[in-house]
Amino acid sequence: MLVSEIDMITPSSLSECLMQLSKEGRIHRLIAGGTDAAVRMKEGKWRPEIWINIKNLNELRYIQESEDCIYIGPLTTHKDIIYSPLLQRKADVLVDAAREVGATQMQNMGTIGGNIGTASPAGDTLPALYVLGARLELTSLSTKRIIPIEEFILGPGRTVLKENEMITKILIKSQKPNEIGIFQKLGPRKAQSISIVNVAISLTLDQDLKCREGKIAFGSVAPTIIRARKCESMLSLGTINDELIRNIAKIAWKEVMPISDGRATATYRRDMASALLERGLYRLIRRWDNQ
Amino acid sequence: MNTKWVGKRVKRIDGPEKVTGELKYMTDYHFDNMVWGKVLRSEYPHAKINSIDIEAAKNLPGVICVLTHKDIPGFNGFGIVVPDQPVLCSDVVRCTGDAVALVAAETLEIAEQALSLIKVDYEPLEVVADAEYALRDSAPKLHPDGNLHSHVKINNGNIEKAFEEADIIVENTFYSPRQMHAFIETEGGWGVMDDEGFLTIRCPGQYAYRDRMQIARSLAYNPERIRVISSPIGGAFGGKDEITVQIYLSLLALHTKGRPVKIHLSREESVIAGIKRHPFKVQMKTAAKKDGTLLANQVKAIGDTGAYASLGGAVIALAIEHSCGPYKIPNVDLEGFCVYTNNGIAGAFRGFGVNQVCMGIETHMDMIAEKLGMDPIELRKKNVYHQGEVSSVGHIVKSSVGTYKTLETAENCELWKNREKYKSEVSEPWKKRGVSVATSFHGIGMGIGLPDYGAASIELLPDGTFLVGVGCEEIGGGNSTAYAQIAAEMLNCDISNIKIVQGDTQKTLDGGTVTASRSTYTGGRAVAAAAPRMTELLIQTAAEMLNLDSSQIDLKPNHISAHGEIIPYKSIYKYLYNHHRATRVEGHFYLPKEKEEIKGSGGAPHHLYGYLTHVVMVEVDTLTGETEVLRVVSIPDAGKVINPQGLEGQTEGGAVMGIGYTLYEDVLIENGYHKTRNFTDYIIPTIRETPLIETFPVEEPEQSGPFGAKGIGEVVMIPIIAAIMSAIYDATGARIRHLPATPERVFNALKDLKKQKVQSSR
Repeated sequence: MLVSEIDMITPSSLSECLMQLSKEGRIHRLIAGGTDAAVRMKEGKWRPEIWINIKNLNELRYIQESEDCIYIGPLTTHKDIIYSPLLQRKADVLVDAAREVGATQMQNMGTIGGNIGTASPAGDTLPALYVLGARLELTSLSTKRIIPIEEFILGPGRTVLKENEMITKILIKSQKPNEIGIFQKLGPRKAQSISIVNVAISLTLDQDLKCREGKIAFGSVAPTIIRARKCESMLSLGTINDELIRNIAKIAWKEVMPISDGRATATYRRDMASALLERGLYRLIRRWDNQ
Repeated sequence: MNTKWVGKRVKRIDGPEKVTGELKYMTDYHFDNMVWGKVLRSEYPHAKINSIDIEAAKNLPGVICVLTHKDIPGFNGFGIVVPDQPVLCSDVVRCTGDAVALVAAETLEIAEQALSLIKVDYEPLEVVADAEYALRDSAPKLHPDGNLHSHVKINNGNIEKAFEEADIIVENTFYSPRQMHAFIETEGGWGVMDDEGFLTIRCPGQYAYRDRMQIARSLAYNPERIRVISSPIGGAFGGKDEITVQIYLSLLALHTKGRPVKIHLSREESVIAGIKRHPFKVQMKTAAKKDGTLLANQVKAIGDTGAYASLGGAVIALAIEHSCGPYKIPNVDLEGFCVYTNNGIAGAFRGFGVNQVCMGIETHMDMIAEKLGMDPIELRKKNVYHQGEVSSVGHIVKSSVGTYKTLETAENCELWKNREKYKSEVSEPWKKRGVSVATSFHGIGMGIGLPDYGAASIELLPDGTFLVGVGCEEIGGGNSTAYAQIAAEMLNCDISNIKIVQGDTQKTLDGGTVTASRSTYTGGRAVAAAAPRMTELLIQTAAEMLNLDSSQIDLKPNHISAHGEIIPYKSIYKYLYNHHRATRVEGHFYLPKEKEEIKGSGGAPHHLYGYLTHVVMVEVDTLTGETEVLRVVSIPDAGKVINPQGLEGQTEGGAVMGIGYTLYEDVLIENGYHKTRNFTDYIIPTIRETPLIETFPVEEPEQSGPFGAKGIGEVVMIPIIAAIMSAIYDATGARIRHLPATPERVFNALKDLKKQKVQSSR
């Protein structure tokens, strides 16, 4: 398929979009911000017959809260997330993660639905969504289902999304006042970089810095995002101080299964899982103290 | 000296149109009847070509022509020094950047499709992936004379005796990366042939006249029938010194029936086919006395020039000439090898070999200072050569030398004086800070054995303004503004009355390359040589017009006055025009050179050098190995500074490029294939990696330069490399000898350090 031969249609509503998606006998693909799609088209990897352009489908671009649940439309951009007072207050780890995506240009164009759908092991918003217990609403012309994000992503670039389905909603639980989160990323430089390792942490803390519940999710260290269950269970061992942080961080390398690639070796990635967890917990406690 | 323009902060004359995007670079142009050219690159890093079948490609609708080596009318090769690179390969390919065929088509897409239809039957050969392996007898020979392109040697004194007598010896091996120029505008341009067979090539380059010569040689065409326009340029840094696509454009233009043909490399193609900085392995052994006096230096440097020579030989020669730093070391044994491999192609790049050796000698200076318990600046001050003294390579340095002054300035700068305080102010407990200093130098001009001259023209225009023509291109460094300042100063006019034209074989004289930190110095001197001829022309003409003696004529700002009468320059133009007389003058300048070449050195010594000292502060995250450069102080000796604002542009850009070289950048090639494909995995610093950079010039005027100026375009990125390496050591105790100092390398060095400590405490 040559780029010049590819068609593009721009549905004006969700129902029209779902109708287009249900058409069989042709190869089509959704395109929103295009920060992944355009690159892959250029590389020759994604050459559908038709692009279904949903960039301006504004009914899928929103951030709302209702009864301790936050609903995010898949076409919400990273910048929308960063500037949302609601998310700043009640989903701090997601705001942190969105800030670390690429740079301003990509944050303006790229959408959270796209970041999820691309299912890159290095996708920056994914670990944040994992620790926030995100669920996804997948809709086709005739069906609707809601599944946890862990079940959505199967491997690099692979998801359970069917040809005729699209992500129509992201649901996360609102953080309570005693919950706090943080996202840490190690890339080859500060901006415009793909994660070597990243980690999202979300803790429920008592007044005396005891952790009631904690979630830790690593990115870029396995085919999908990895929850660090052993580390999580150690969080509730006592007051979170420098020593406990070091001890938890020490075992993080056991939780991850990284590969070596052009960006880093597997050994370094293992070491960095520990380093980022240590740095993240330290900074998170500092942030808690300052609040 | 009281000046109006020179030495003043003059804003860049090409600034507004560049920052607003109004300026069209040559690769920005589109024409209605244009066609697209594409180059078929080799599939293998080393292979024999059995046959090339272009039939299917030729028959694709929309294809205008498909060319191979058979279609080259003249010499099938190019290369600045040794033309060993085929324009289009006929029998063997030696790197994946090699060109095998050319296509012109109605659209870019059709051209790309046509490339995929060209069937080349290759027979893969063993790949030479390592420069040291290339030197073994068992390695396949990539060129008829073998894999050693050049070998240079400088010996002085008695090295064995010196090492025996030394109190202290340090010895290390350093590895440096394959840096990419990473200019915004990738290689590209236009070619068109008119009805009368006159060929015009518009293609960013660093020496239009030499590009024209290389085109003419391959086309077997009269160079007078070729016009090359090579300026303005969206960045070059040495990467457009060699032929890029000029010959491809010319060949295609012969077959497009007068339609303009455009080639513009994608970033991916530029990564593979564009030249890079030579990766070096440098083994260095340096000896000193207890009091810090340097006694001896032994250097063995191997540079990987890739498949073809380009300027590789000159790069190695310059590296060896500079391998002892700006010091006087009496006993030296310096040896450099420039080696062919199948790793792309390396060539000219800002610094030209000095970067790779500076990191060695300056690291050794710090190691010696530490072992002796000496202040690193004191040690350097003790060993630097001064004007009139003998350098390490054994020649008397007659031109100006500012190293000592730059070191004094470093010693007194705020960052160095308060370094202990700054080092204690870490932002988080696991972070560590270090402050270090390094100094270096860089030859100006071509050295011995190559022609080195400048030329400029000044033309009086009908509206009474001046057109200054200089061959040297504006590659982004700001030489156009320097030329305008010098012209305005000497013609006693406002700078807005000066127009500059550069890099055009039809409009400018041959004035040599924009390389070797030479263009402000050389072009500036040529303008300064032409200007008095213009003032003479103005005064003589005015005298003639008024029937006065020329001594009665006064050159005032923007006009001439005589006996109370004012004569605007347009009247002078009109008078000359009406009398069919020339309105254009020329100025020529030969660079001063040393008389005697150091035997076996490949062109050393240079007559002139620019000097620079850097002080840097870094912060290392010991958890991850990330290094952040927090502050840079750049202290150049550029002679008299023509434009402080322009100098800062150079010192700031150079510092950031040096940070990239030290911490981030490397084009990775494995077994001849590029692992680095584009800017996704080639990491250059962004504004977030850009620290506070201060510039404190030390002006050590150079007699031979325009208004006392020297060149500075390259040394601005050199000592910072060693300074960052030492600052990492100062912060953490870990020595990095293999660049770039990525977080992983720094982290592993810290890990090794911990292991050593554990072992030694047992």
